[in-house]
Amino acid sequence: MEFDKDSLYKLGKLSKIQIDDSKLESLSSDLASIIKFIDRLKSIDTENVDPTSNSLDQSLVMREDIASDVNTADEILENAPQNELDFFSVPKVIE
Amino acid sequence: MINGWELVIGIEIHAQIKSNSKLFSSSSTKFGSGPNSQVSLVDAAMPGMLPVINKFCVEQAVRSGIGLNAKINNKSIFDRKNYFYQDLPQGYQISQFKDPIVGNGFIEIDSEGQPKKIGIERLHLEQDAGKSLHDQDPKFTFVDLNRSGIALMEIVSMPDMKSADEAVEYVKKVRSILRYLDTCDGNMEQGSLRADVNVSVNKPGEALGTRCEIKNLNSFKYIHSAIIYEAKRQIKAIESGENIIQETRLYNIDTGETRSMRSKEDAHDYRYFPDPDLLPLVLEDNWIKKIKSSIPELPDKKKERFIKEYGLSEYDSSVIVSDKSTSDYFEKVVQDRNPKLVTTWVTSELFSILNKKNLSIDESPIPPNQLGDLIDYIDSGKISSRQAKDIFEEMCETGETAQNIINEKGLSQISDESELKKLVESVLSLNPENVEKYKNGKDKLFGFFVGEAMKLSKGKANPKILNELLKSKLNS
Repeated sequence: MEFDKDSLYKLGKLSKIQIDDSKLESLSSDLASIIKFIDRLKSIDTENVDPTSNSLDQSLVMREDIASDVNTADEILENAPQNELDFFSVPKVIE
Repeated sequence: MINGWELVIGIEIHAQIKSNSKLFSSSSTKFGSGPNSQVSLVDAAMPGMLPVINKFCVEQAVRSGIGLNAKINNKSIFDRKNYFYQDLPQGYQISQFKDPIVGNGFIEIDSEGQPKKIGIERLHLEQDAGKSLHDQDPKFTFVDLNRSGIALMEIVSMPDMKSADEAVEYVKKVRSILRYLDTCDGNMEQGSLRADVNVSVNKPGEALGTRCEIKNLNSFKYIHSAIIYEAKRQIKAIESGENIIQETRLYNIDTGETRSMRSKEDAHDYRYFPDPDLLPLVLEDNWIKKIKSSIPELPDKKKERFIKEYGLSEYDSSVIVSDKSTSDYFEKVVQDRNPKLVTTWVTSELFSILNKKNLSIDESPIPPNQLGDLIDYIDSGKISSRQAKDIFEEMCETGETAQNIINEKGLSQISDESELKKLVESVLSLNPENVEKYKNGKDKLFGFFVGEAMKLSKGKANPKILNELLKSKLNS
C-alpha cells in the first residue's frame, strides 16, 4: 500500500510531530513497508481466535480505595517549564 | 416535533464516581482543594509510572450498571484514547472502547404522563481530565491537575429521546438512580455529573438527519435550552438548503446559543488501542452477585411502595421519590403518622421554605423528628393548622423545637370542653340580639359567633369542638 502525503501530514499532526518536506519521501516509503507488513499479518485467518489485548494470562490486580497525597504542588510543578500560582502555565489555548 | 420536524436525541452522561481516591492512583478526589495539591506522579504522567485500578470504583460501575438494568460484562478491556490537550498529561485518556464493563440496559422515564423506556447502550470506566483556566492571564492558560485521573462513568443512551423534555427527564432519572446507589453525588454545579447531547432532526418517515454533539452541559435548564436552540438551528439550515456537518458544538450559557467547537480538518482520530499497562479486568460471577444483593430500593420500586404502603397519589409519590434525600426525610417523618398530613407538610410547607432559602433537604433547618413532633401536635388537636404554620416558620428562623415554642407563647389550642363551654356561654350572653336573630332563622350569623369565640380565646379555641358546642347550644 502506498502512504500518501496527506495521510503522512495527518499522522504528523495527530502525533504532534513536525515533518520536514525533505524527509517526506523516505518516511513515506518506510511507513508503506510497515503497513505492508501489517497487511501480511491481516491475511492470517483469525476467525476463531479471541483478540489478545495482553499476552499474560492474568487479570487486573485491584487496590483498595485509600487516599494519600504524598506529593505537594511544589514537587509536582518542579519539572514544569513554567508555573504560576501553583498552576501549570502553558501558552494560551482557546477552543 | 418542531414545525413538522422530528427530533432524535442521544445522551452521554459523565458521572464522577464518589470515591476517596482516583481511578488509577491514590491521590485524593476532594473538591475545592488548592491547585495541583492532589496530584501523584501517575496523574502527572511521569515516565515509568504505572496505573493500578481502584477496586471500589470498579464496584461502583457494577452497582450503577445493575441500577440501569444492564448486562455486567465478566471481562472488560481498558484502551488508550489518544489526543493532545494541555489538561491531559499522558497524551491519552485511559477509557474503555470495544469491551466496556457494562453493556445494554434501560431505564424508564415519564413522558407526558406515560412511562417510556430509554435504552442504555453501555457504561464504561474512564479517567477525568484536568482543568484549564483561560481567563487568569492574557497570554497563558493555567492548568490544575487535581481532577486529572478521577474515575468517571460514561453512560451512553440509545438515541431514544424525541424532545428536550424527554432528554431532561432521562438525565434526571439517571442522576436519581446514581444518587440512590450512592455511586455519584450528582452535583451538577460542581461538575460531578455532566451531559453531552447529540441532536439531529428529520421529517417524519424520512431518514435520520446528521447529528451534532453539544458538549458539557451541567444543568437541566441548559440541556433543555441547548437542545431547542440546536434543533431550530438545524431546521433553519436545512430549510434554507444547507447541509448539516457532523461536529462538536459548545453551548454559551449567556446567549443560549451553540457554536462550532472544532473545525472539520481537526476531525478527531483517537487511535484507540488496548492499554499495554493494564491487563483485562475480569469479574467473578460471585462478586457481581454479592454486589447485586447490596443494591438498595431504587426510585421506581420506592414509588410503587409509597403508593401502596402510605396511600400516596401517583404524583405525590413521584415528587417525593425523585430525590433520595427527600424520600429518606419523608420516611423518617411518616413513621406511625398520618401520611396525608406528612405529605402535605413535606411537599408544601417544607419545600417552599427550602426553596425560599435555597437549601437542599439535607440542609433543612427542621430535622425530620422535629417536623414529626409538630405534625403530632396538629394531629392530636393540640394546635390548629393555622397555628402550626406560624410555629413552623418560627422553628425555621430560631431552630427551636415545636414544644418550646408552644409552651413559650402559650399557643396550645384549647380543646378542653368545659373551658370551651364557658367561652360559648359568654359569647352568647354578650350578644343576646344576635342570638335572637339566629333563632329566628338568620343562619348566617353562625360564623359571627365562631369569630367572636375565637377572638375571645385569642385564636386558641379548637375550631372543631367549638363549632359543635356552639351548634348544640344555639339549636337547643
